[in-house]
Amino acid sequence: MLNVSELSKTFSRNAPKALDEVSFSVEKGEIYGLLGHNGAGKSTALGIMLGMVYPDSGDVSIGNVSIREDRCGALRKVGAIFEAPAFYGYLTGWRNLKVLTAFSGGVEKSRLLEVVEWVGLRDRIHDKVDTYSHGMRQRLALAQAMLPGPEILILDEPTDGLDPEGIVEFRDQLFELRDQFGVTILLSSHLLSEVEQVCDRVAILKGGRRVYEGSSRGLADDGIVIRLETDDFQKALEITETGFGGKKLRDDLLSVPLETDTADVLDTLVKAGVRLKQFVREEQSLERFYMDLSRKKGGEES
Amino acid sequence: MRLFFAQLGWELFRMFARKRTYIGFGIFLAVELLFWRMLTLEKAKEGMIQFTERLAGAESYFSGITIAFLMVFFTVMLLGATFVALVSGDIVAKETEDGNLRLLLARPISRLRLLAIKFLACQIYTTVLFWFVGLTALIVGILERGWGGGFFAWDPRFFALQPLGIYDWWEGIRRYFAAITGFSLLFLPITGIAFMLGCFKIKPAAATIITIAFITADFIFASIPLEAFEPYQHLFITSRMEAWLLILQQEIPWAKLVESAIWLVGIGLTGFIIGWVVFERRDVKS
Repeated sequence: MLNVSELSKTFSRNAPKALDEVSFSVEKGEIYGLLGHNGAGKSTALGIMLGMVYPDSGDVSIGNVSIREDRCGALRKVGAIFEAPAFYGYLTGWRNLKVLTAFSGGVEKSRLLEVVEWVGLRDRIHDKVDTYSHGMRQRLALAQAMLPGPEILILDEPTDGLDPEGIVEFRDQLFELRDQFGVTILLSSHLLSEVEQVCDRVAILKGGRRVYEGSSRGLADDGIVIRLETDDFQKALEITETGFGGKKLRDDLLSVPLETDTADVLDTLVKAGVRLKQFVREEQSLERFYMDLSRKKGGEES
Repeated sequence: MRLFFAQLGWELFRMFARKRTYIGFGIFLAVELLFWRMLTLEKAKEGMIQFTERLAGAESYFSGITIAFLMVFFTVMLLGATFVALVSGDIVAKETEDGNLRLLLARPISRLRLLAIKFLACQIYTTVLFWFVGLTALIVGILERGWGGGFFAWDPRFFALQPLGIYDWWEGIRRYFAAITGFSLLFLPITGIAFMLGCFKIKPAAATIITIAFITADFIFASIPLEAFEPYQHLFITSRMEAWLLILQQEIPWAKLVESAIWLVGIGLTGFIIGWVVFERRDVKS
């Protein structure tokens, strides 16, 4: 559906490479995550996919149409949402949709009504966008992306700034888009947890390079991370190593296999007389995942 | 083509739905009302009547159209340049800065088409603004001098010269609006320069200020009252823009008018093309 092939980009002569031979492909009907810290190259990659940024080398094809050779042809199948979408605040939501869809060839009023209803903006669509909350703007952004009936949606940090309720709602909408409408979705994010919950596969960018591509479930395969504060870390480590197959990560961190019940670990340590000041099950962070990747692969692509 | 006009229609809708678009309209109206107030001063009115009698032969030529012509002449040249530069410099630069343009560029539309729509919208704005100024000036003139009478046109910078043309009421109205329409077209270089600058990676205010500074400098050089500069006056944009007055001449010197129009339209379109080439090669990123 979408094929990114050896993209490289440098914005100025002395600047580091924003993208360095990045490749990945998104299959039809898939939710694919592009993960990375700010400045990792995600927005540049998305900019190239939408024909807004010119790559130094490499290409992107959407449905077998090259963005470099036929930008308009490739974008006919695409809807896009940007981080903090900039609408015309002095126009109503409805007028914004009319203006934007005019540049995609226009849509029927019935289609507009249908999409507005679907994103849940029917009651406020005739209010000025200046009066919208961030969540409402994001719904309007989803509406404008959906209106031309795209086969693929490209979403740049779509949940940034949304409240928890908004994030859950947005996530459900993504599943609905894929399952009911057959839309392929590519989303960029710097939130590992979000990508894990939504995406089938991910590519991770770091410093403009792809450092990982594979199943999003694999991100947490290294196990559960536990932070311990104790007078005798060595004793705690020995107990978890023998009893649960644990490993030392740092002087205060250890990991146990995913299937381990952490309550059992805690219980065993206490019964063995280890004095614990803190026992914290830590979420796998993107940072740690990067570090683990670097440690394991020496920074090479995996 | 139908889609192009639909897109242009929405671009115009968007432009005229924005409050700041009307700043120019409001300021022109305020200046016209101030002008009207000045004309009600006894000595100013007497002076104008005497001047009209001397040049046109009868007081009736100091009519609503003559007053409107005076207002348009003195207000549009510099104020008009400011507002046309403001809108044309803003239309790409501001939308790029605000991020609106990314939403448009994510659609299957070429950058050339998008810019052509925006450029055309700027030119339509200029024409609408000038017609507004012309129409409101005429209403103010009629409120002051009543309906009817003649129209005599002259170059208001040179009171001692012969009139350009003397017309009855309806021919005067026709010439007056033809001149205003022509004047709006001759403003194309200002649209083109501001638009071109807006296509660079530049702040919207910078595009406007550079354009106004350039046009003001051009006007100063074109106005230097030295014989030595006369052979070069035709090279200045503001000097060429005075060609709108030719439409008010009894016998329109078409060759001279067309020559100036080609010059000015050429400069305007060159600005557009340079802007497009620059914008086409640019990365548009947040």
